[in-house]
Amino acid sequence: MSRRRAVNLGLDALTWLVLAVMLAPIFWLVISAFQDDLELATGAYDLLSPTFDAFTGMWQTIDFERFFVNSLVICTVAALLATAFASSAGYALARFKFRGSRTFGLTVIGTQLIPGSMFLLPLFIGFIWINQNVGIPLYDTHLGMIIVYTAFFTPVAIFFMRSFFLAIPRDLEEAAMVDGCTPFKAFVKIVLPNAAPGLLATFVYAFLFAWDELLFVANLTQDTAETIPIGIRTFIGNYQQRTAQLMAAGVVSTLPVLIAFFATQRWLVKGLTAGAVKG
Amino acid sequence: MTTQLSPTEPTAHVIVDPPRRRGSSLRSSRSRFIAALVAPAILFMLIVHLLPTVGGFYLSFKNLNLFTFRQLFDAPWIGLGNYEAILFQDNPLRTGFMGAVQNTAVYVFWTVSATIGGGLAIALLMNRDMRGIKVIRTLMLTPWIVPSFVVAVLWQYMWQSDIGIVNKLLVDYSGLLDERPVWLIGPNSLWAIIIPSIWRGLPFAMLIFLAGLQAMPKELHEAAAIDGAGPFKRFRYITLPLLRPLIAVQLLFGVIYATYQFAIPYVMFGSNPGPHADLMMTLIVRQSFSNNLFGFGSAVSVLLMMAMFVWVAIWYRAFKRDLEVA
Repeated sequence: MSRRRAVNLGLDALTWLVLAVMLAPIFWLVISAFQDDLELATGAYDLLSPTFDAFTGMWQTIDFERFFVNSLVICTVAALLATAFASSAGYALARFKFRGSRTFGLTVIGTQLIPGSMFLLPLFIGFIWINQNVGIPLYDTHLGMIIVYTAFFTPVAIFFMRSFFLAIPRDLEEAAMVDGCTPFKAFVKIVLPNAAPGLLATFVYAFLFAWDELLFVANLTQDTAETIPIGIRTFIGNYQQRTAQLMAAGVVSTLPVLIAFFATQRWLVKGLTAGAVKG
Repeated sequence: MTTQLSPTEPTAHVIVDPPRRRGSSLRSSRSRFIAALVAPAILFMLIVHLLPTVGGFYLSFKNLNLFTFRQLFDAPWIGLGNYEAILFQDNPLRTGFMGAVQNTAVYVFWTVSATIGGGLAIALLMNRDMRGIKVIRTLMLTPWIVPSFVVAVLWQYMWQSDIGIVNKLLVDYSGLLDERPVWLIGPNSLWAIIIPSIWRGLPFAMLIFLAGLQAMPKELHEAAAIDGAGPFKRFRYITLPLLRPLIAVQLLFGVIYATYQFAIPYVMFGSNPGPHADLMMTLIVRQSFSNNLFGFGSAVSVLLMMAMFVWVAIWYRAFKRDLEVA
């Protein structure tokens, strides 16, 4: 029995050790952000006298606010649209067997197989063409990036929402429809409110991934619609080497997704692991 | 309200056939409703994914470079010329391509195997009961939330040869190594992107496996333990087979997403990561958007996509059984 106790204590310690190792880089990011450039360049960290200079300076060195606001606007709107489209398509997949439902499901998964580089250039050309012929500017605009991100994160979100709808008993809608509700009304008034945690989780999923996207925003924007992944690289360039501000910018651009995740993780984890536990 | 929402218990009757007794008008209103439900998703996938993909396929047969770029889709047709240049002709482009293929293969192999293997090991560790385990499990997910571009700038700083914390730990504090390794240039630079990728991927794999472990019926392990099976035997013959479908899905998407990795090398090294760390996506984007070799880039993209279809086919053959169970 005492040997078993020792093993248990050892495993407890190992659990804490693994956690410490996984969190160590994040700890390093945060404490580096509270130093100044000289301390970072020499490696002589002074943990006892942290400075907020990097957090105030980062907004002046580059126009970080523009990147930050762009990221917030583009990701929020795109995640909202993706959630809306995914919830309706996910509902169709969860409740109805219709002609082409299998093809539709496979196409949705198939989009994940296409390398971004495959459709990036044609999309760019399409943006230019639409501007010339229809007059809607999409290159380097919020609208253009919102359209791209909405399409990007709808497919996985569809399966997300589908699994949430599958967990809602059909009796609810059936009862509503017996009472004279149209299918659409039953969907909007009965099903969606019951799927609220799922909607929230799906929104956060799409927001998290949109926040992380780089390939398309790097090539479809130039100035006005650039997001944080583009902006953050400008702290270190040919003319400046502001490591402390770079680390501070890293902290600031992690905070929104971190907050969104921890605020909703109960439901988000359910959505992410839905496929894992149904077997 | 939320009690009914556990996705762990899908309802049995998912599929409803159209009511046969009722008239055709009801049936057409039903299909109109379904069409309206799926229309926005289809429209967006069509505009952003599918039509441009066809366009990319078409461009791969074109001689689209700096001089012909203004012609766009009307650039000169050269048939399989781009593919020939990539696969069979001796030129710098082919050398660069082959280098990127090799780097990507190494990157994908280590990233995916270490993420799945490590994720499973950590999940087993986190599946135990101990004080504070709920908080630990949640905190374990944090690296996965840190955006890729932050991961890249953070690790680039940590990899610095003289002042980076990694070398300080390896050389100054522990004395494990006598000389300071150079991480960001040369052969080590591939590891400079592999290790952060594993670090960021581990929590997600852990999350999936942990969910699988917790959904596992306890009786199986208890019965096996009574029959005298030790922990290793129980893992080998009960846990692992039951986790196979989860491993399969992790493997499928792990390989695809790792192959398409772009943000970490691009933010860490810029548009040219050098011959040792150049991956498929950085190669394609650089040759297309920096060197204006759009025909070449499209052809490499097509080859890459075909490689992924081959991978899915292999995967499907290997794990077909598990999908039927799941």
